[in-house]
Amino acid sequence: MVDNAWLIPLFPLASFFLLLLFGKRFGSRSAEVGSLFTFVSFICAAVVFTKSLHESSYKQTFNWLTVGDAQITVGFELNPLNVLMLVLVSFISFLVHMYSKGYMNGEKRISIFYAYLGLFTFAMLALVMSPNLLQLYIFWELVGLGSFLLIGFYFHKQEAKRAAKKAFIMTRIGDMGLLIGMILLFWQTRSFEYSVIFQAVEAGDISQSLLTFIAIMIFVGAVGKSGQFPLHTWLPDAMEGPTPVSALIHAATMVAAGVYLVAATYPLFQASEVALLVVAVTGGLTALFAASIAVVQTDVKRVLAYSTMSQLGFMFLALGTAGYVAAVFHLVTHAFFKALLFLAAGSVIHAVHTQNIEKMGGLWKKLRWTGPLFLIGTLAISGVPLLSGFFSKEEILLSVWDNGNYFLFTLALLTSLLTAFYMFRLFFSIFGGEEKTPIHAVKESPMIMWLPMIILAVFSIGIGYVQTPWFGTFLGDWLTNENSHHEFSLWLMLIATIVSGIGIGIAYILHRKSSLLTEGESSAYRVVANKYYIDELYERTMIVSTKAVSRSLVYIERYVIDGFLLVVIRITRMFAKKATKLQSGQVQQYGAIAFLSLAVLVVVYLVAGGYLR
Amino acid sequence: MDMKTVLSYEWGAMMPEFIILGTAILLSLFDLFAPKRFNRRPLAWFALIGIVLAFVSLISLLPLAETSILADTFRLDSFAKASKLLLLIGAGLVIVLAASHSANDGLGGYQGEFYYLFLTALLGAMMMTSSGDLITLVVGLELLSISSYILAGMKKKNLKSNEAALKYVVMGGISTAITLFGMSYLYGLTGSTNLGEMSETMARVSDSQVLYLLGLAFFMVLVGLSFKLATAPFHMWAPDVYEGAPTPVTAFLSVISKIAGFVILLRLLLSLFLAASGDTFGTVAFLEQNRVFIAVLAGATMIIGNVLALRQQNVKRLLAYSGIAHAGYLLVAVATLGGGYFLLDTVWFYFLAYLFMNIGAFAVFQWLADANSSEQRFIFVGLAKRSPAAAVAMTIFLLSLAGIPGTAGFIGKFHIFLGALLGSTPTDYILASILLATTILSYVYYFSLLVQIFFRPAATKEAVRFPVSLMIVLLVCVVGTMIFGLAPNIALDFLHQHFGDFTDFISMG
Repeated sequence: MVDNAWLIPLFPLASFFLLLLFGKRFGSRSAEVGSLFTFVSFICAAVVFTKSLHESSYKQTFNWLTVGDAQITVGFELNPLNVLMLVLVSFISFLVHMYSKGYMNGEKRISIFYAYLGLFTFAMLALVMSPNLLQLYIFWELVGLGSFLLIGFYFHKQEAKRAAKKAFIMTRIGDMGLLIGMILLFWQTRSFEYSVIFQAVEAGDISQSLLTFIAIMIFVGAVGKSGQFPLHTWLPDAMEGPTPVSALIHAATMVAAGVYLVAATYPLFQASEVALLVVAVTGGLTALFAASIAVVQTDVKRVLAYSTMSQLGFMFLALGTAGYVAAVFHLVTHAFFKALLFLAAGSVIHAVHTQNIEKMGGLWKKLRWTGPLFLIGTLAISGVPLLSGFFSKEEILLSVWDNGNYFLFTLALLTSLLTAFYMFRLFFSIFGGEEKTPIHAVKESPMIMWLPMIILAVFSIGIGYVQTPWFGTFLGDWLTNENSHHEFSLWLMLIATIVSGIGIGIAYILHRKSSLLTEGESSAYRVVANKYYIDELYERTMIVSTKAVSRSLVYIERYVIDGFLLVVIRITRMFAKKATKLQSGQVQQYGAIAFLSLAVLVVVYLVAGGYLR
Repeated sequence: MDMKTVLSYEWGAMMPEFIILGTAILLSLFDLFAPKRFNRRPLAWFALIGIVLAFVSLISLLPLAETSILADTFRLDSFAKASKLLLLIGAGLVIVLAASHSANDGLGGYQGEFYYLFLTALLGAMMMTSSGDLITLVVGLELLSISSYILAGMKKKNLKSNEAALKYVVMGGISTAITLFGMSYLYGLTGSTNLGEMSETMARVSDSQVLYLLGLAFFMVLVGLSFKLATAPFHMWAPDVYEGAPTPVTAFLSVISKIAGFVILLRLLLSLFLAASGDTFGTVAFLEQNRVFIAVLAGATMIIGNVLALRQQNVKRLLAYSGIAHAGYLLVAVATLGGGYFLLDTVWFYFLAYLFMNIGAFAVFQWLADANSSEQRFIFVGLAKRSPAAAVAMTIFLLSLAGIPGTAGFIGKFHIFLGALLGSTPTDYILASILLATTILSYVYYFSLLVQIFFRPAATKEAVRFPVSLMIVLLVCVVGTMIFGLAPNIALDFLHQHFGDFTDFISMG
């Protein structure tokens, strides 16, 4: 099975083609087709996972192209990180496929929706199996394409179109960084292969300053994909896509690709302290920055989007402070509870037909399934003890503390507090308090929607136990292939719990005073509510100056380039006309031209060779 | 030569040739004695069986070390094997094309002759690739040429076909005359017709007067063979002949005849002129010294082929000019010697790609032309609606011909381009830029066909049905074009595994 693991991404790809070609014929049964293929994919991934628990990593490549002395290979690699991602992606993708059958019920273009989901799943699975940077880059772009198509799925909506375009362009800016880093690495090592690159790094073949630059460039790619500051503005807008898409792509999998990228190229970062610091600071600042915005948002999906940014920032913070295991651990737990939260939010939206939390309230009794499930997700993300988020967050705090950077540690604690606060603010506004919508219209979602949520909820609670100070550090041992000693720090756990508790407490008190959603009048409030005016800043600077440049280029294009082209076209036409005349159909003329040409060649040869003097 | 020597030769090395010869003889006998009313179309399948058997026997010969028989006139070295693989694959595809022609293509009752003349032409090409001697080389060349002249005129009642055949004979005669004139010089200078012996003599030349004559001989041979390659300015017969000849013959001329021409050119250049000294001191090789002339021909061919293709309304003529342009690209590889290292791999791979994409394009064209009784561009109109499968296939062929990434044509062109860049003299850079510029030019006419296929509204929505045999050709060509475009190393690894670096060919004699 392990050597046939390359089949795993091909099932969703098959589903993509099948639905694209025969989607109309399948109609609403497209959901079953897509789910089935993804399920097969998940089963295969699970088998590979169980196999690889005891085996070391497996890699298979073959030569794709030989350019001079450089060999470009394609293939796949199964190391613990890759296998973990494979299982995670295929599993959540399958659950989202299932859930979408209920959520997208009645949608006319449902076959297209499932086709896109298949394309995305294929690209994401292939991305996490890539043994080299070039292959990773190809699927990196394909994943971006899948995201673009799905954000713009409701393309008749102007905002969706804009959001899709924005997401594509913003992530492209990051991709350029990755591309530059990749090309520099190829230039230095003549290879895209991870193993070759890491060897070169270890041997010190790349100068320290260049290495730092390369690592930062690769991190720029991760920043774009993972919605980190300053390339984050696309992620909240991406919520225009259907909610299951937000759960799959913009919470659990694709945005985590940035974290995966840094984790996969971690030796590069380890070799450069500056790069690590950049990663940590970017992550820490984004975590706090996004959490503060989440506090004042009133759109349920946007709150979750900023929360995703913030949690991804947490992961980068861990990576930047040498907490490799902590970051991957949090990636896993976050994937489950954030997917759960999004799906639950989707279920709420499905029931009340609005995303504005000011218009919700008192849904606890109406949504018998969704309410408790949402609560589980909220508890997990807030870091309430014994749920998965608690363990992974504690791990991150520990790695930041060990790193000795107290500024970053403070950032992390503050973020924790804010996280607990805004998540419970969200929860209380939706489920607590007075009923605001015409209640008779509200109906619980069908089983096909809450079943995947229950599965996710079980994992949100339990997945944390793969890496605890009490029962053992299975995940860490497996990932790093050594018996990591895990120091137990009770005080840190206590602090984390207290901080979360304070956050929840504030949310509860404000909720009782029913001033959770009151708008502040202070200028500070306005700054936060307008997302620190980052969008406006880009609008006024980047976009305006780009437009100015492009306007002046239009003139160059119109007069210089077009003029040049016109000349080329005229010359080509004239030449063609003349040459066509020579092609008269008279064979004696052909012969004459041939002899003439031979004569010219010989004469030139004789003159150039000095034989005619 | 007594009986003992004759029997001591390893005749097995000639097995593919024997099979083709035997099939051709059987076919001609059958055609002679079979009653008139007998349908001769199934003979094509018989010919195909012969080609497949020859292919299988060639595969079984692959592990055989370099063998030469008949006093070194017939050599089965790695280069011969590699070229014959291409020739046989191409011939197999073209014979299926010929078998799938529709009733109104004007071949009339001469199908029988068509098939065995096709085989003798193939036999000539195969002999050329294996010749270790000027005599066998010329015999093979003439067998190929004379068979092709008749093939071009196969549509006896068709004026254009007659015109094509006559023009081909006249131009072919000129070509042969020039080639033989050049070869007579070579014989005079070296006193031998054996390529190995000639090469040794030529390597020792240092007298400037002899060098002068060597130069003349070089140009005669180069120009003579240029007719076969259809490179400018010796290409002018090609569009007229391609247009007049039956489509399978056109496919044959544009692929197999061209491969044979390049094979022979490479054999002469590499075995004779690479080793010959270029100046009186013997410091520069002759080919190195004079490759700039080939470069000029290559540049002219690329420009003329692509520019003139722009103006063609007749698709067959368009494909003819496209074929000329591709010959130009290949000459770039020859002129830059593939950057000094990979000339033969590059040319071989390019032909592999060219074979699939070109025969595939001809297959689609042939059926549409016969169905519409026209060869103008409009026969492609609305193909996307009328036969989506054929439209997709044609798209892949055109993209590959244009050299778009993801197709075999791109990889082939990429290697040629890389070779030119590695050459690192101004000539090489100029060639590389002409290659790029003319490739862009070629998009215009290739994509204009795509416009016809996809965007022009069709007058009729009636589905076009392709015969199964043609569909199989299309499938093979599509698979070939895609696989070698996505995973070129399948072909290149095969090449290196079986033929090494063609060392036995380079250092022959």
